[in-house]
Amino acid sequence: MGRVLLFQGLVGLTEAMYLWLVAAGLSLIFGVLRVLNFAHGALYMIGAYLTYAVFRAFGGNFWVALLVGPVLVALIGWVMEVFFLRRVYRADVAFQLLLTFAFVLILDDLVKLVFGPVYQSPPTPRSLSGAVMIFGSPLPTYHLFILAAGGLVALGLWLFLEKTRWGLLVRATAADREMARALGVRSSRLFTGVFMLGAWLAGLGGALSIPVRSISPGMGELIIIEAFVVVVLGGLGSLRGAFIGSLAIGLLHSYGIVFLPVFELALAYLVMAAVLVVRPWGLFGVREA
Amino acid sequence: MAASRRTTRRTFLKTGAAGLAALAAPRGFGATPDLKLKKPIKVGCQTILSGPLGGYGEFMRKGAVLAMEEINASGGVGGSPLELNFRDEELKVDVGVKNARYFVDDWGADFLIGIDSSAVALAVGEIMPTLNKILIVTHGATEKFNEDLVYKKHIKQCFRICVPVYQDGIASAFIAKDLPVKKWATISPDYEYGHTSWKMFRATLKRMKPEVEFVGESFAKFGTVDFSSHISKVMGAQPEAIFSTEWGGEAVTMVKQAKLFKVFEQTKAFMIAMGSAMDVLQGLGADYPDGVWASGRYYFGYPDTPQNKKFVETFRKRWQSYPSYVSETSYAALYAIKKAVEKAKTLEIDPVIAALEGLQVDRPAGPCTIRKEDHQAIYAVPWGRIKHDPNFPMPILGDLRVAPTDEYYRKPPFPPVEA
Amino acid sequence: MEPAARSGAGRAAAAAVLCAAVLAVPALFGAFAQYFALNVLLLMLLALSFNLLFGMTGLLSFGHAAFYAAGAYSTALLLRAGAPLFPAVIAGALCAAVLAAVVGAFCVRHTRVYFSMLTLAFGMFVYAIVWKWTDVTGGDDGLVGIPRMRLGLPGPFDLNLAPLRNYYWFAALLVLASAGLLHRLSRSPLGLALRAIRENAERAEFSGIRVRRTIFLAFVVAGAFAGLAGALLAPLEQTVAPTAAHWTKSAEPVMATLIGGPFSFAGPIVGAVVYLGLKEIIVRFTEYWLLVFGLVLLGVVLAFRGGLLGAAEALLSRRPWMSGPRTPAAASPR
Repeated sequence: MGRVLLFQGLVGLTEAMYLWLVAAGLSLIFGVLRVLNFAHGALYMIGAYLTYAVFRAFGGNFWVALLVGPVLVALIGWVMEVFFLRRVYRADVAFQLLLTFAFVLILDDLVKLVFGPVYQSPPTPRSLSGAVMIFGSPLPTYHLFILAAGGLVALGLWLFLEKTRWGLLVRATAADREMARALGVRSSRLFTGVFMLGAWLAGLGGALSIPVRSISPGMGELIIIEAFVVVVLGGLGSLRGAFIGSLAIGLLHSYGIVFLPVFELALAYLVMAAVLVVRPWGLFGVREA
Repeated sequence: MAASRRTTRRTFLKTGAAGLAALAAPRGFGATPDLKLKKPIKVGCQTILSGPLGGYGEFMRKGAVLAMEEINASGGVGGSPLELNFRDEELKVDVGVKNARYFVDDWGADFLIGIDSSAVALAVGEIMPTLNKILIVTHGATEKFNEDLVYKKHIKQCFRICVPVYQDGIASAFIAKDLPVKKWATISPDYEYGHTSWKMFRATLKRMKPEVEFVGESFAKFGTVDFSSHISKVMGAQPEAIFSTEWGGEAVTMVKQAKLFKVFEQTKAFMIAMGSAMDVLQGLGADYPDGVWASGRYYFGYPDTPQNKKFVETFRKRWQSYPSYVSETSYAALYAIKKAVEKAKTLEIDPVIAALEGLQVDRPAGPCTIRKEDHQAIYAVPWGRIKHDPNFPMPILGDLRVAPTDEYYRKPPFPPVEA
Repeated sequence: MEPAARSGAGRAAAAAVLCAAVLAVPALFGAFAQYFALNVLLLMLLALSFNLLFGMTGLLSFGHAAFYAAGAYSTALLLRAGAPLFPAVIAGALCAAVLAAVVGAFCVRHTRVYFSMLTLAFGMFVYAIVWKWTDVTGGDDGLVGIPRMRLGLPGPFDLNLAPLRNYYWFAALLVLASAGLLHRLSRSPLGLALRAIRENAERAEFSGIRVRRTIFLAFVVAGAFAGLAGALLAPLEQTVAPTAAHWTKSAEPVMATLIGGPFSFAGPIVGAVVYLGLKEIIVRFTEYWLLVFGLVLLGVVLAFRGGLLGAAEALLSRRPWMSGPRTPAAASPR
């Protein structure tokens, strides 16, 4: 029993890290731009494909690919924000959602056109394909790497938001957009920057997934709804909420599979509904005025 | 669809060419007789063309187009060329039903082939009496299709050219009984197919080898992106062998992650029922561990006959890829249509159904009979072990083993599966 | 609020065009067109019921498929148990209304995005139940072989609905009648109250409108009509599968409404025709229908920010619509 609780929990936390990378960007973008980006899962997919393309182009060096791939996704994010999203900031949230949904459809078919419909999956880097014995069971080194990477990103984001001037602007805009503008925050540059950062995070999630998951068109839709659940559970716009929400959903999955397999499909939704009924603005969200 | 349009246009070009070829060809032995049927004979094909499983549709289309080109180049079906049209099934029941209705009621299809999802196969099968055309399923594997729809409800328009779930759940047990393991566990999809095949596997294996134990099971929802929790749960039960019916991208992910968790070092056998599908072989590539037992609905290396070799060669020449099983089943479906129509000498439904019942089809997968009682094609598909051979661009199967079809295809009156 | 296109004459003309089109389909086209037109009509009804909430109060339900599926599954179960069609369809709509009352009780105090997400959660919860409760719902295989026989009305009205054409008449009439009812409803005291809430929830509360109760009522009515759409689906397809409850199904009325325009009653009607029509045309030309459809959607969002009807209306009233659309949720309930 102890083994199950601890080991299964550790495995759940690694799954949570992928969710966290996607949810962090989703929450950040909502906090500042007030746009619910349906295409965030598609950006995760693009991250996986582009990283894989770089991986092949650079003779199979995973580390180079990991650096370059997500940056390319950030550039795609730049295009999306500057040429498309910016035009609908004044429209209703629903139309923004529709616009990002259009991107989901377009990106899904674009990767199929460019890369073909067949699964792609590069091998796990040799240095990370081992396993460490924990509680008598082997835990993949790669999973430990993911745990570390997710934690580092969380730390980095926290430092960025708390200790840098840009972070201050982001927080100010998220807290009160009008006030921040009145105080001279150049919101258009900030918006672009935040969207690119969010895209980079999703791209990083995709990039980190390629050695252990299969890449295919439509893979973004498999995680976007779960990412929504995470950010809503944690409270829209709250990075702390997204982090805690990811951990909660990740653990819920891995424990649900062991203890409540029949309900596993519904568990995340049930918990989210329960939280919202008690706290309509999510765990760490700000109560709407 | 553009591709189908392309196909259609190509059809017409080929039709012209075929017409000329037919004129030029000596009207002797082997020439297709002109039955003065409707021209062209239209076949509506639906398969999954979008989303994570879109690769399946691609392989299905390639097989069907190849068969059409061959048939049309050698005089068509009873002198009439075939014309194909492809639509995306999206694995959604309402879309599948709409496609079938479009093909028959609007486009004027004479036959329907394809369908990947079991649920779609059942839904479309159910409306076939209304549409009154012949449907040949090339992938959807639920036993309910032949056992319930055809045998029990007498929906005579439904046929299936691929092995059903018997290959996954029963033939697998014939392999498993000879393996030196007793404690089995599964990681399989959390839907009808996954549950049924595991049930069949347990029932069959227990009957043949009573000392086996089934120590763990974990069923993963459709669209699972991470199997770590399932793997860690199942390995906690310390099985000696794992049986899985995960397929497509999910099979790829599961194997990669199982490898990281050192499952292949800790177990003595690993079986993946859909593991020899081309998308899994190509998707895993060098990552596919040696010795994994895998099967499918056809494997390009079996049987070792000139006809199969020729099919694989032609396919490779045409598409620069080895055929996946859906390529073979859709290819075989069109040849079955050709043979039945030429035997019935008409396109009318009842005579063609009568011709299909009991029909012997010599397909790349080997000789096959379409069983009269449940309209199920009976042929043998091997299980084999993954190995890496430098002569092939992807992993292949070695140590091929075939269970006798007479023993692993369930037979009328289809008693319930007890496990 | 009501420019030229919304005048009484315009409304009557629009209704006449819709009815004429519905009548013309079986006369002019074959079986597939009837089947396809029924698909469009059912999406219309689903989108109209969705827009009862969204257009009037700005609350975007992203779990509408739950009620659609509730209607479809309960009707399917009744039909399989041998019930006549008309009572089964009505019972299906009622079951959906009951589900909507339960879900609505939890959802109505939420606003905006949280409302959408909570409805999404409940929708996916229903999906999970449908998927796992195999004994009743047939699991992922769904319920197959749903009979479509007698209508179940007394005397000469007891039509045999097995032929598609007969079913077309029945279902189309029911959808048109529902559309008429929904339109009446939008002008009823409930509709006026909803509108008052949209304009200013607090003022509405002060003037004696019980905001939450009003929204709850609208939610249940919307659920009932969504359920009716589902109830009519079951005998049409003769199969119901869990995809009917999936969020991708919930997205369809959202898209239809936004394409057509959420600010006028006819928006979802136009949107349903455009959405399904476009898709059907595109899939005949290209395998890459997602790409083409996505591009069209992108164009619609960027060019017609109030939906097609919103833009047309603005053009008619020479209102500079580029100045930005009305926001339906300008004052969502708090």
